[in-house]
Amino acid sequence: MDPLRSYLGRLLLEDVTPVVMVLTTPLAEAACRKSGLSFVDMLSPFSLFKKIDVPVRTASDQPYRLQQFKIRMVYASDVRKQDREVADARIKLVVSEANEKALPDLLSDPPQLKDVLNKPEAELCPLWIKKFNRELIRTLSFSDHETFDHPVACLLVVSSKDKEPISKFADLFNANQLPPLLNEGIMDPQILKHYLVLHEQQDGPQEIAVNILAEMRTTLGLNDCKLLSINSSTQADGSDADNSWSTYKAHGLHNHEGTCFLNMDDLNEIKDFMQDFASNHIIPYMEQKIRVLNQQVATTRKGFRNQIKNLWWRKRDDVPEAANGPMYTFTSIESQIRVLSDYAFMLRDYELALSNYRLLSTDYKLDKAWKRFAGVQEMSGLCYFMLDQSRKDAEYCMENAFTTYLRIGSSGQRNATRCGLWWAEMLKTRGQHREASTVYFRISNEEPSLHSAVLLEQAACCYLLSSPRMLRKYGFHLILAGNSYYLSDQKQHAVRAYRNALFVYKQNPWSYINNHVHFNVGRWYGVLGIFDVAIKHLLEVIACSHQSLTTQSMFLNDFFHFVQSTGEKFDVYKLQLPVFNMSSLRVVNEDHRTYASNTDVDVNESIWQELEEELIPSSSVVRTNWLDTQPKSSPFRNNKACVCVAGEAVKLNVELKNPLQISVNVSGISLICQLSTNLNASGAETGALTTAPEEDIANTKPSISTFESDGNNFTVSKLDIVLGGGETKRIQLEVTPKVIGILKLVGIRWTLSDSVVGYQYFEVATQKKNKKGKRGARRSLNTNLIVIKGLPKLTGYIECLPTKAFTGDLQLLTLNLRNQSEHAVKNIKMKISHPRFVIPGDSSDLDLEFPQCLRKHVQSDSNTVSEGTKENVKGSLFAFPQGIKIQGGATFSWPIWFHAATPGNFSLYLSLYYEMESTTDIPYRTLRMHYNVEVLPSLDVSFAISMCSSRLQEYIVRMDVINKTPSDSFALNQLSCVGTKWAVSTLPSRDSISFVETIPANQAVSCFFKIKDLSTSSCIEAADGSCGSDIVLSAGGSTDVFDVSRTPITDFHYQERYQQGKLAKVPRGLLDFILISKAVAVNSSKPEQLLSHHTCHCSALSQNPVWWLMEGPRTITHDFSKSCCEANIQLVIHNSSEHNTTVRVVTSDCMAEKTKTAPSHESATGQGGWYDVSLENDIKAIASTKGAHSQKQSSESISPFVWCSLSSAQVDLKPDSSAKIPLKVCIFAPGTYDFSTYELHWKVHSSESGHVDENVTSGGGQGYPFYVNVLQGA
Amino acid sequence: MIVCVAVVGHQNNPLYLQSFTEADDALKLHHVVHCSLDVIDERVNNPKKSAPTLNETFLGLLYPTENYKVYGYLTNTKVKFLMVTTDLDVKDADARNFFRKFHAAYVDAVSNPFHVPGKKIASRSFGARVSTIVKSFGSGTVG
Repeated sequence: MDPLRSYLGRLLLEDVTPVVMVLTTPLAEAACRKSGLSFVDMLSPFSLFKKIDVPVRTASDQPYRLQQFKIRMVYASDVRKQDREVADARIKLVVSEANEKALPDLLSDPPQLKDVLNKPEAELCPLWIKKFNRELIRTLSFSDHETFDHPVACLLVVSSKDKEPISKFADLFNANQLPPLLNEGIMDPQILKHYLVLHEQQDGPQEIAVNILAEMRTTLGLNDCKLLSINSSTQADGSDADNSWSTYKAHGLHNHEGTCFLNMDDLNEIKDFMQDFASNHIIPYMEQKIRVLNQQVATTRKGFRNQIKNLWWRKRDDVPEAANGPMYTFTSIESQIRVLSDYAFMLRDYELALSNYRLLSTDYKLDKAWKRFAGVQEMSGLCYFMLDQSRKDAEYCMENAFTTYLRIGSSGQRNATRCGLWWAEMLKTRGQHREASTVYFRISNEEPSLHSAVLLEQAACCYLLSSPRMLRKYGFHLILAGNSYYLSDQKQHAVRAYRNALFVYKQNPWSYINNHVHFNVGRWYGVLGIFDVAIKHLLEVIACSHQSLTTQSMFLNDFFHFVQSTGEKFDVYKLQLPVFNMSSLRVVNEDHRTYASNTDVDVNESIWQELEEELIPSSSVVRTNWLDTQPKSSPFRNNKACVCVAGEAVKLNVELKNPLQISVNVSGISLICQLSTNLNASGAETGALTTAPEEDIANTKPSISTFESDGNNFTVSKLDIVLGGGETKRIQLEVTPKVIGILKLVGIRWTLSDSVVGYQYFEVATQKKNKKGKRGARRSLNTNLIVIKGLPKLTGYIECLPTKAFTGDLQLLTLNLRNQSEHAVKNIKMKISHPRFVIPGDSSDLDLEFPQCLRKHVQSDSNTVSEGTKENVKGSLFAFPQGIKIQGGATFSWPIWFHAATPGNFSLYLSLYYEMESTTDIPYRTLRMHYNVEVLPSLDVSFAISMCSSRLQEYIVRMDVINKTPSDSFALNQLSCVGTKWAVSTLPSRDSISFVETIPANQAVSCFFKIKDLSTSSCIEAADGSCGSDIVLSAGGSTDVFDVSRTPITDFHYQERYQQGKLAKVPRGLLDFILISKAVAVNSSKPEQLLSHHTCHCSALSQNPVWWLMEGPRTITHDFSKSCCEANIQLVIHNSSEHNTTVRVVTSDCMAEKTKTAPSHESATGQGGWYDVSLENDIKAIASTKGAHSQKQSSESISPFVWCSLSSAQVDLKPDSSAKIPLKVCIFAPGTYDFSTYELHWKVHSSESGHVDENVTSGGGQGYPFYVNVLQGA
Repeated sequence: MIVCVAVVGHQNNPLYLQSFTEADDALKLHHVVHCSLDVIDERVNNPKKSAPTLNETFLGLLYPTENYKVYGYLTNTKVKFLMVTTDLDVKDADARNFFRKFHAAYVDAVSNPFHVPGKKIASRSFGARVSTIVKSFGSGTVG
């Protein structure tokens, strides 16, 4: 690009031009004022010559032609350094003027990326910024270290009305009034003078003026005097003059008063005058001066001799002087070189200028005149640029100048700015936008905030223009600029800058910055009074969760402040406060499935379906049934819509979250719905829709009744909540349709802090998503619901079902059902998920008093448990008696038994099925109930059974009870064996010992019992009533015995047996125990709490198919002096297995060593009532009485007795039969003997092959201890 | 002293940004880090000498502002690490070393099976580890 055509080139051509100092008399000035112009104003449009075409010859002999030229006309009074504040005020005016123009732009939407990219470069950097830059540069005019602002010529103007005009000229150029530059010797006062007589045509003929001119010519010189006639027009308004001026108005001339006395002739005359002045006087003068100065410089400085001399002279003179370097007067060679180069620059002989600048820069450098040095460097940089030579050198010079200016401190600051502006322009011309923006950024640091704002904005533009685009830096610098604008109270500009930056941060998740920008834009819009836009921006930030509490509250406060300032309520789509979690949205509509409470809805549908499998007719059949009976079945199918019942609320669960740390007040949350009464599918879209009326907002009262009276088709619930900081709440909204039709849930509306109404629509796309997920119809967010005719509906609950219970807790509860509709329902059935926990009772149970009803009555009819109930329990499907119908509005109660079977958390599911009395759209409905029960551990009961060694068909039972509760005590009440087969009793002759009644927390107790098989041994005790299947453990006696064979306990026992049987590893259970205990209530007001523990499938630790028992005399008196004693004893062997068994008895005389090995640790555990509470020991612990006894004889190596009849006998035993084997022992001395030195070996002959457990097909056993006391007879 | 470290994802989304200054200049640091991404983009798109810098992850000094210097590091998955420091002369070797440790910490953090790729790193142990690295960097240059 040709540097002269570039912006900087044009700028320099216009700004670095010869200055003409103008001195006028007051009368001359007054003449111009008539047209509303100052003299300078009048001339300045004509000071730019576009086609002057003047030949110029400077130092070289080769002339060249100037095409374009400009002179600057300045009043002498203005030829001085500008006051800083005045200059700044003028700059501020420029910025503020642009402000007003920007205002309409601010109301539009903020620009997007593509808008910005498509903008032409000129628009990015608006005109006023250029104007600003020039004004900023202009503040440095007439500085003393540069000469291009020094007047080249002086124009002295007198009016023709002035008296003694010649002397006036002398007065005008009086030294007192001259600018300081001339007086202080900085510049040569001998400048070109030009004299002008101003004549007003209105005042009369031109003769006077001509006379004056002639006089002037004689005294002041022939060529330097001119006559100018103005105000020829007689018409005051000068309408034609307006037209003539219009061509010049572009140059910044404003005719303020509208009156102009200048006509076309005047203007032409001015034009001719200026042309003449420039081409015939100024340019030749400058040429002349350049030549003279060049000659002078050549003689003093050029050539080797001069350079040496110069160096020597400078060195000698190298003494520290003033801070700005030595004072250079106009006579000094340095000033002259400077004038020479500046003139050359102005006449565009850049080569000459450059060579002189370079010459000068070394001088100044040696003199340490840094400001001048910088100025010269700056100019040489510009020369390089204008010559379009070495870019590097140009940049080097500019940078050098810039840093030098900065180095000299505050006095060079503005110069640095100017230098920077030129430098940046230079870089921009060459397309180095990035470097330009760096320069802008650097100079912005040195300037007051307003200037720096404009400079930063330019820096930002440069980043946008640079290649590749640096959008982030663009944004950042705009933000910086905006901030500076704000600091300097230019809010419009601040908003503009921030707005332009918005798109940079928009997509990126740089929320921290984004929030800052939005907030400030919003706030400043608010300050400017543009509230709607302010609110729009603030809406973007009010839901920022990541900001600190103070920031959040600041955002929120400002937001509400602006909202209140508008004085009206705002409707905001997708208001982010609070956040509605749309994925958590659930529509709960009750078709044939109804729910007892809201939480039941959350239960997985598959659980219900599994539960209801047997309860309801298969779904496909049902659906076709009731759909086919519907004449208008098509819309149901087409829409795949859900069904809801008129008059019953459709609930919608949604989660809403407050993202802030501040609590917010949300009121009037309601659904937006449409109900079309037209069932036609197409009609649903276009038909008459009833929207939730806008008056909702006005009606702050949640009045459903108003809607009813309005005749609306549905009612909507309203909800007011306060959400704490960071809180998430799940809310339920309701809409109750009242007429048949299609209900469409459209969205949610809510009011935030009573001032902003937010609304959000449900997205339609969710329907598709749900289809993919293959979820049940109820689960999907189907916003279209078909409303069908009202149906009967049951509501129900279980009264006082405990949420926490101890294991074994047995309670009688009531199931309450209520029919809210007018129609009766029938054929009620119920299914329970955990029959182990809950069993429906009998209708008669309802009035019973618990727990007295369980007590054993005198005339107990033990056959209350029918087989039928057992079957029902097994299937856990309970059908209420056929006759039961629940009439409309009626309530119905049914007893329910509850038993906390095992510890843990349990979810109870109950499903009630009922049918409609009248024919309706849906033939049946189900009521689903769901309860969570936490069962705490209470008593831990375990039993250890071992075979009794001293009796046949008897077992010793040890019951270990551990109280596992931390604080509660329990009283043992009763231990029962289930069934009639077994009798339990305390150990014989221990009746007097009272039992431990209560077990305090964390304690354990063990009790011993004896059980007896009543079925096999038809012994005498059977008739004896004392030995029953129950044993009372408490002090209350037999009146307190509960009947375990009655309905709830036996039913639960049946369940327990079933459940434990599934778990138990033992294949064959012997018997079941039920321990009934009572909680020891701390305060007696509580009802008595009954606990029943069921332990099933207990079996003896080692169960042998063969029982044996030694029988014989215990004491023998014998006279050993005669002979040895023979004792006759017999071994009774009983086969309790179901098969034939062969038993072999082997006696041996010495087997002491074997018994020694009997495990001793077993005996240690069984002795006391207290022992280590651990599960493993519970299982292992055996009351092995046999082990304890069999150790005495070990000391004797030789048995003192011998078996004498046979050493081995074998018998075959039929099932359930006994045999007696006679044995004989020969004793040789009196004493006490243990005849246990025999072994039994048996073999079970199973008739069916293989089905008997391997362990018991064959086996053996040691003899039990049998002590005989042999006494010496008399 | 390191005033700020940041991890920026391959879509130029901030994954982690932690400042280590007392002053409330989070916004400024956000801006500085955000701006530095321009420079990274530029370096990545117009590599001056492709051969030696082909496998180089360390990007060097990105953005000297008046108060800060920003150093950058780019992983193969286009995750950027940035370090804003007030030290005027940082040795490249120190910076390299710092970024290597930082990278290792990041790799460990995102290897956590509970970390969602592309989401902000919320791991507290990562934060703790980064601050030790940052502290050791400060002491390393002093000592």
